[in-house]
Amino acid sequence: MALTILLIDTDEDRARALEEKLAESGFARVIRAESLDMAATVERARPDLVIIDMALPDRDALEDIRAVSSASPVVMFAGTDDPAFAQEAIAAGVCSYNLSGVALQDVRPIMASAIALFRRYRHVETELAAAKALLDERRLIERAKAILMKNRKMTEPEAYRWLQKKAMNESRKLAQIVADFVAEDEAEKRETKS
Amino acid sequence: MSDVVPLKIQRGGTKLRIGFLRLTDSAPAIVAQEFGYFADEGVDADLLEEPSWANIADKLAYGFLDAAVIVPPLVFAIEMGLRGVSQKLVIPCNLSLGGNTVTLSRDLAAQVRGVASKDGVSIAAALAQCLKGRTEPLPLGIVHAYSTHNLLLRYWLATVGLEAGRDVRLSVVPPARAVEALQSGQIAGFCAGAPWGEIAARAGAGATVATSDHIWRNAPEKAFAVRARWAEENPDALKGAIRALVRAAQFCDAPENASYTGALLSRQKYLNVDSHAILSSLPGGAIRQDNLSRFWRQAATFPWRSHALWFLRQMARWDLIGDVDAGALAARVYRPDIYRAAVAPLGISVPSVDSKAEGAHDAPWQLEAAPNPLPMDPDSFCDGAVFVASPAPAAF
Repeated sequence: MALTILLIDTDEDRARALEEKLAESGFARVIRAESLDMAATVERARPDLVIIDMALPDRDALEDIRAVSSASPVVMFAGTDDPAFAQEAIAAGVCSYNLSGVALQDVRPIMASAIALFRRYRHVETELAAAKALLDERRLIERAKAILMKNRKMTEPEAYRWLQKKAMNESRKLAQIVADFVAEDEAEKRETKS
Repeated sequence: MSDVVPLKIQRGGTKLRIGFLRLTDSAPAIVAQEFGYFADEGVDADLLEEPSWANIADKLAYGFLDAAVIVPPLVFAIEMGLRGVSQKLVIPCNLSLGGNTVTLSRDLAAQVRGVASKDGVSIAAALAQCLKGRTEPLPLGIVHAYSTHNLLLRYWLATVGLEAGRDVRLSVVPPARAVEALQSGQIAGFCAGAPWGEIAARAGAGATVATSDHIWRNAPEKAFAVRARWAEENPDALKGAIRALVRAAQFCDAPENASYTGALLSRQKYLNVDSHAILSSLPGGAIRQDNLSRFWRQAATFPWRSHALWFLRQMARWDLIGDVDAGALAARVYRPDIYRAAVAPLGISVPSVDSKAEGAHDAPWQLEAAPNPLPMDPDSFCDGAVFVASPAPAAF
């Protein structure tokens, strides 16, 4: 039996990818939400399962659907199964509601696909954040070197070695050393100003 | 300092992950974080903006959050496992009073505002008058089934005999969607926390006809809820976090700080809305004085057991909960004992009792507190009711 799945995701690429993946499996029919009126959307689509991006505010509206329409009670799927699976879903940022009491074993592979896909997209975001952090660190190292070259008349290689040595002596990361060093310099400047 | 580089400096302390929504009354948590009050108390706080109450509830339940700025009825719902997995929570500190608006579409608001009297029941009666002859119930939005908004709105409508289901149809509309829902006609009005009524007014989508104060003056609004297990494992950090929040509440309540708080909250990582829309409900920033969020004076940070019992009574009234031992539940969740222990080093005046007669004061009054009595503003309900918590909750 093909399940009807209502997919609520504003990330076009991710939504399309999940739609294709589920269509390939052949056991699900995916409907994309067109309206922000959750009650009306559910009333129209009559889905067995709703899959929603946890970054959207519309979860609160979905949860209350039993109070506003004749649709079957909404049960949060993640909560009825093992907590580890629910935690994976939350960490990936995706959540689902079981509207028609579909058996868990039928829903589980669908949610596993959704979790995997959301995680993959999250992964790209994490990589971007990591790249940005690295860039920030580089910028701080440059600042710290410039301060040392100006205040202590060091050459650039000397300044870098000085920072490295300080990191080794204090057994802290270079990133922390330069962050503190630049912060201290900022504070000193402020003091001399006031 | 033209070229300030954002520094990520490692701080020590006990990690505390606090969830919050984009609401004006998240202010104490944001201020405590940004001004280093948590750090001063040895608490390494992480503030996590969540788009929905459902996320807050799930993340508390599954341990992705240790604490949250939250509406108290939802805390009871999580405790009782009414929406998903249950989790034991405690409320050792309240965070705000008032701040909600009932905002209607412009046409409807204009009709309702036509009434001369400005008291809560007269406004509700004017709304009832406007609904006469309608064949369909009026669709109104609330932010969550287990919200203060749902309870306050139903209480207010009931004073003039308006019934949910028959006269109005309540549905959940996230505040961030309220403007478009008003414009599309999905709803004719909504009850939500600041700044969303102001945002709808600025967008030309609606106008505010009533506020929390029209329903229950100085009604409890947001609370600080913590996973009971985290609270047990980190008693000192918990007390430190409470002191940090109390200090932040004092800052947020001082009229001269309104523009700082408004600017801080308007940042992209917090509310991400125009700071003037936030200012409109901050003490000292508001032009109209009837929709203030209050953070400190009038014992606003004290977790009153009588507040807990009022919420539970109203949840039962609207069939949101079944038979529960309200006294025991209120005593387990609301923890004035933790609050008192936490703020003892601050030398501030603390209420001498855990419950008060809610609604008993329609004029300024004095609250028995130690070392000094506290000046209090009225706490009356629009219908003049007095709620006395009984039976008195057993000592915890």
